[in-house]
Amino acid sequence: MSESLSIAALGKLVDCWIAEGRHVTGPRRINGRLLYARLDSAADLDLTEDERPRNSIKQVLFPRHEELYGYKLGHKRIELTESETPIAEQIVVAARPCDAALGPILDHVFNWDYKDTQYNRRRELTTIVTLACRHHDAHCFCTSVGSAPDDPRGSDVMLHAMDEGILEVCCLTEKGSRLFAGRCDNLPSPSSGRGAGGEGISGDIANQPVLPLTPAISHRENGTAPPRRFDLDKVQEFLAQGFEDSRWPDLARRCLGCGACAYTCPTCHCFDIVDEGAGKEGVRARNWDACQFVPFTLHASGHNPRSRQNQRQRQRIYHKFRIYPEKFGPLLCTGCGNCTRNCPVGLGVAPVLAEIARNTP
Amino acid sequence: MIATLRETCRQLLSDGKVDVVIGYGHDAAADGAEDAPVYPVFITKPEDAGRLVWNDRCHANLAVYLKHEEIRSLGRAAIIVKGCDQRSLVVLEKESQLDRSKIYVIGIACDGLDRPKCRTCDVHEPRGADVIIGHKAAGTGYPCAGGVPSANGTQGLPDTLPDDRYAELRAFLARPSAERLAYWRQELARCVKCYACRQVCPMCYCRRCIVDKNRPQIISTSATLKGNFAWHITRAFHLAGRCVGCEECSRACPMGIDLRLLNLSVAQAAEENFAFRAGDDPAAEPVIGSYAIQDKEDFIR
Amino acid sequence: MTDNIYQPDLMEVVQVHQQTADVKSVRIRFCDETRANDFSFRVGQFGIFSAFGAGESPFNLCSSSNWRDFIEFCFRRTGRVTEALWNMDEGDIIGFRGPYGNAYPMDKWRGKDLIFIGGGIAMPPIRCAIWYALENREKFGQITIVYGARKVGDLVFRNELDRWAEYDGVRVVSCVDPGGETPDWRGEVGFVPAVVERAGISATNAAALVIGPPIMIQFTLPVLSKLGLSDSDIYTSLENRMKCGVGKCGRCNCGPAYVCKDGPVFTLEQIKALPKDL
Repeated sequence: MSESLSIAALGKLVDCWIAEGRHVTGPRRINGRLLYARLDSAADLDLTEDERPRNSIKQVLFPRHEELYGYKLGHKRIELTESETPIAEQIVVAARPCDAALGPILDHVFNWDYKDTQYNRRRELTTIVTLACRHHDAHCFCTSVGSAPDDPRGSDVMLHAMDEGILEVCCLTEKGSRLFAGRCDNLPSPSSGRGAGGEGISGDIANQPVLPLTPAISHRENGTAPPRRFDLDKVQEFLAQGFEDSRWPDLARRCLGCGACAYTCPTCHCFDIVDEGAGKEGVRARNWDACQFVPFTLHASGHNPRSRQNQRQRQRIYHKFRIYPEKFGPLLCTGCGNCTRNCPVGLGVAPVLAEIARNTP
Repeated sequence: MIATLRETCRQLLSDGKVDVVIGYGHDAAADGAEDAPVYPVFITKPEDAGRLVWNDRCHANLAVYLKHEEIRSLGRAAIIVKGCDQRSLVVLEKESQLDRSKIYVIGIACDGLDRPKCRTCDVHEPRGADVIIGHKAAGTGYPCAGGVPSANGTQGLPDTLPDDRYAELRAFLARPSAERLAYWRQELARCVKCYACRQVCPMCYCRRCIVDKNRPQIISTSATLKGNFAWHITRAFHLAGRCVGCEECSRACPMGIDLRLLNLSVAQAAEENFAFRAGDDPAAEPVIGSYAIQDKEDFIR
Repeated sequence: MTDNIYQPDLMEVVQVHQQTADVKSVRIRFCDETRANDFSFRVGQFGIFSAFGAGESPFNLCSSSNWRDFIEFCFRRTGRVTEALWNMDEGDIIGFRGPYGNAYPMDKWRGKDLIFIGGGIAMPPIRCAIWYALENREKFGQITIVYGARKVGDLVFRNELDRWAEYDGVRVVSCVDPGGETPDWRGEVGFVPAVVERAGISATNAAALVIGPPIMIQFTLPVLSKLGLSDSDIYTSLENRMKCGVGKCGRCNCGPAYVCKDGPVFTLEQIKALPKDL
């Protein structure tokens, strides 16, 4: 049995959460562009469905600048101080499934032997309320990487927009249930429903569900899922032996070497550690970094193993589609399409993989 | 017009006049589909010239590729430029970054791509090109200086500077400085330091950008308000008298920050104080790189 | 002790020794006694060292794991962090995170002859293994050390080369490139690969540790293969641009390996399986 909520009621809930001191992030229209950002009130929340926010919710679990600790320099003395930034309880509302999936994917690397306490703390304190997709654009490719417009990975609650301003509410975890407990209207479902055969995934599930990643039947029949952009099997086949393939320079020739793809990607997580400060005090912080930048692999000796842009592009593809899954299981990609959406020259994962798959017999 | 473009490029390649044509195109599988994505392409074989396109999605300023080693290694290049992009070539040449005699410039007549810069464009037919595709017939009303460069190379600026080019910027700059600071604090807070603005700009060709140097680390690499201000203001200053207003920085920014307001304000300052518009006159010395006795000194107090 | 994996231990500099014109070795000890008692590492592992205000840098732990009074690292003055470390004196405080990475497989090497081959600044990561082997002498067979540099002034830990030769069953061959010798140089003159070839090393039951500039390695490996060493008996320690040291920041990723987690110690067999991304 699934519960439901009117959009207006969701808005009231968002205002409630903000009033309770939680940090709420959701899609917000800024300068005409849809971006995930902190909401000051429910009025900021933009539930436009046929547009995907140009950034990801990664910032909430893995900020682009995060203080690790402070240091004070003295004569033959150093004092280290805890970072002053407290981590607040966070809620992401109306995340897309291709964003929410970043949690279960990144958990692996951030807990690989050494547990990244900052990441884990944010993970614990964040509840992700997803809005399943009824639309896709030319860049979406979730179905090409084993995901779907209603992929539940990483979602604590999944909302399904139905017509007439009603949202179906499916609580997938205990954290999610707690957030919505007693707050739903239980309105009758509108006659249009959610699509043929669309059963809600409801009920309290204490842990993240591990469901097979096949596109939900309802969406496939409704045509809201993006078409298959490339054959992942062919891609994996190529990657298994194509590292030295002569086509890489052509595949990546138009790449400008910026970090727009990496920084708007839900799963790119490379970072740099810097000391910042003047004089006797400073802070050691970590900042987002990207394998697309020239200095990423630049040795102090001047040697750079990836001195050419096509080598850097190749690394990105390999890391996402071969190295990470071989080490940890999931692909380091959810098919959100932000890489291509934001690339000033239309590169990104899908065009490259589509070209590779096309040319792999 | 597209047929002419493709044929011109096909001819250039098969005659061996150039080794690569830098243009806008579809990928090989698009098969001429109208809505296929358009992006920069590098055509090296005459038979691939059919991939070239020209439509209202040809935004990129391709001049940026002339500094890429991956493109230079392909050999002698022909480059397709819109009027606005062509200005970048002039600046690059003046700054000794390219040898104009070694590239073949294909100007393409453009009636606008629906970007803010197009509203006040005065170069619908690019200047300084070796060939122009799509001449407009006389009487179409374009307020432009015209196509093929004159024999003595002195195109110069139009008789009167079209002052409505900076109308929007002027209105913005007229706001109280506290208000403008608040605007930039709000906008630059969103910057994630992806450097798309830098990578897309043909004028940013330093082999090692100041932000990538760490002895000392003059500009913070952090995406904090302080780090973001430092970056964008420094870059704007480094564009003084060099920004041609192609507006690629704004288009490229994933976070929707209207960077052209910052970079154009420095361009406007160069124009108003030194009657210099970057990229207009191939004979004019760069404003930052030259000194004239008549230069004003009233800002020295 | 913090649970913040990025926060280093504070270490006091106890001794600085200038090895060459631009190389120093530094001995440090834990400011916190209890940490010193809990700490141990295995030779081959590395640490991330901090010069607060400048940044962090990875260096191999070049002291023997048996030494309890200090740990030691060695660096060349090349960049921002090493410049700051260069200016450190006794009593100064730096940061240390570690030990990270994998170690030389001393158990696998037990009973074998050991061949240590190093070039230039690559001696420190070998030195720890040499001392460990000498301190557990009975566990290993013949030990051959071939160490070379461009010129005499570039040899690191030169004073220890003679001490090693005093041990039973240990042969030390040091060499400098032609033109790099001084009038009183008594070692060999020649490039490391050629010196290895003419050293008459037996490799019937041996393991080799080879660390040095790429060109030295490139020419030394065929010599070792000719001697009969298989790719799985030849080891090296990789150097890569690193930041976090704990497998998260992605910088040291090369093919399927993260040098900070799956390395830095690799066999030649493993290296050959990595893409040419080093």
